[in-house]
Amino acid sequence: MENQEWIYSDKVKDHFMNPRNFLFGDEGQFDYDAVGTVGNPVCGDQMKMYIKVEDNKIADARWKTYGCASAIASTSALSEMIKGKTIDEALKIDAKAIDDYLGNLPKHKFHCSILGHQALTDAVKNYRAQK
Amino acid sequence: MVYLDYAAASPLLPEVFNAMHGAETRFFANASALHTPGHLAMNEIEEVRKTLAKLIGAKPSEIIFTSGASESNNTIVRTFAGHQIETSPLEHHSIIELADKVSGNKLPKLYSYMLANNEIGEILDIQKIVKEARSLTTPKEDSLFEPISEWGKPLVTDRRGAYVHSDLTQVLGKIPINVYELGLDYATFSAHKIGGPIGVGALYVKEGVPFAPLIIGGNQENKRRGGTYNTVGIIGFGAALKKIQREKSWEQYNTHVRKLRDLLARRILTEIPGSSLNTDIAPGKSLPNILNASFQAAEGESIQLYLDAEGIVVSTGSACASGDIKPSHVLMAKTGDAEVAHSSIRFSFGLDNTEADIERVMKVLPGIIDHLQKISTIRMKET
Repeated sequence: MENQEWIYSDKVKDHFMNPRNFLFGDEGQFDYDAVGTVGNPVCGDQMKMYIKVEDNKIADARWKTYGCASAIASTSALSEMIKGKTIDEALKIDAKAIDDYLGNLPKHKFHCSILGHQALTDAVKNYRAQK
Repeated sequence: MVYLDYAAASPLLPEVFNAMHGAETRFFANASALHTPGHLAMNEIEEVRKTLAKLIGAKPSEIIFTSGASESNNTIVRTFAGHQIETSPLEHHSIIELADKVSGNKLPKLYSYMLANNEIGEILDIQKIVKEARSLTTPKEDSLFEPISEWGKPLVTDRRGAYVHSDLTQVLGKIPINVYELGLDYATFSAHKIGGPIGVGALYVKEGVPFAPLIIGGNQENKRRGGTYNTVGIIGFGAALKKIQREKSWEQYNTHVRKLRDLLARRILTEIPGSSLNTDIAPGKSLPNILNASFQAAEGESIQLYLDAEGIVVSTGSACASGDIKPSHVLMAKTGDAEVAHSSIRFSFGLDNTEADIERVMKVLPGIIDHLQKISTIRMKET
């Protein structure tokens, strides 16, 4: 992290500048099985994770975020990390794993990776509840 | 780069750089020393003191040099420790956080009200505060009035029930100032908001009012502020002050800068759905160089960093950007809406900005906001 020109790591910058798997515009554009929500715009961060499940695996995922660069990058990274994983494997991807994947967020931004994990956990909870 | 964060720090002016560069080698000596090099350094400092005093309508003896606005603000608030302290909700943290800690019930009371706020640029009605302060009864006795000559404490000849301090950091050079006409007892100034160096500021302390030094241990500034003089920094401050005086910079702010600010405001409102202004741009309501706007469903730090990637430098009141938990206390006080505060961007202009800068901003900002609104969890309100 030393002497880098931008405030966050290259990986965070990449996922912020070129976010993967975001749900652009209307939610109806993605055929999802469940959605999880975490955070609140009043606190400055809100995330939604939409999952498509096939054979107990996360076949596909999309997300929406109102939040800072770290929040966008964390959700984008998580959406890449969980694809093709079984639900249980995906749930093991915790805040630290997201943080490691991104080449570490600044300490005061670590909570953004926690939010990503919580959004996924909420989506899985909703998926299992409706089954 | 399009720099639109002048209210946070302004680039060093070329004449400031030259003045400081020359001073580094010529005025290195300790300005408190009696020998010739020291005396010559002190002469330079006194020149700057006179320049600032003249610019704000004060006497040179009423000016104290400090390390910046936070020190100046802290000094005055601490002078009134244990006393009633009333501040506007728009004050800088160096006033409100300390006032919360040290205020009490005693009189005389301190009113600390900015003349203009740094985030939204709003101009406050300081005359009303001065009038209110003058109406308070003078207590018969108080430790602030004791005639005992403590370290750096002046003989208080101007006994009142209340005194008024104003943080004029954002105002200096932007609109004409006369501290006597404003009726102020104390005022705070900073060099780096006017093209001077970071680490230099000043305090105006009216003759005969209570004062307690913050830094004790040296005879500098008539025992009112200890510490070796920052001669080079003060000389840089002086060069920036002289430019303001020579060019009457407030006239350029009122014409050139106001025109740019208002142009950006109009274009944001017409070209960006979900945008709103937190700054009242009507003449007399705000400083001409500050525009604060909010963009519905788009978060401030993300807007700031997408703009940064395009070489456009702005600031935001979003909590995320500052590492704070709460968004800007100023925007919360003004709007009462956390989402508006988190979604805010401050554009602050300098004399070097041009219409081409506005064009550059408007070439990319609508796309950035549209992208953030479309990936946002917040649905745009129907308009």
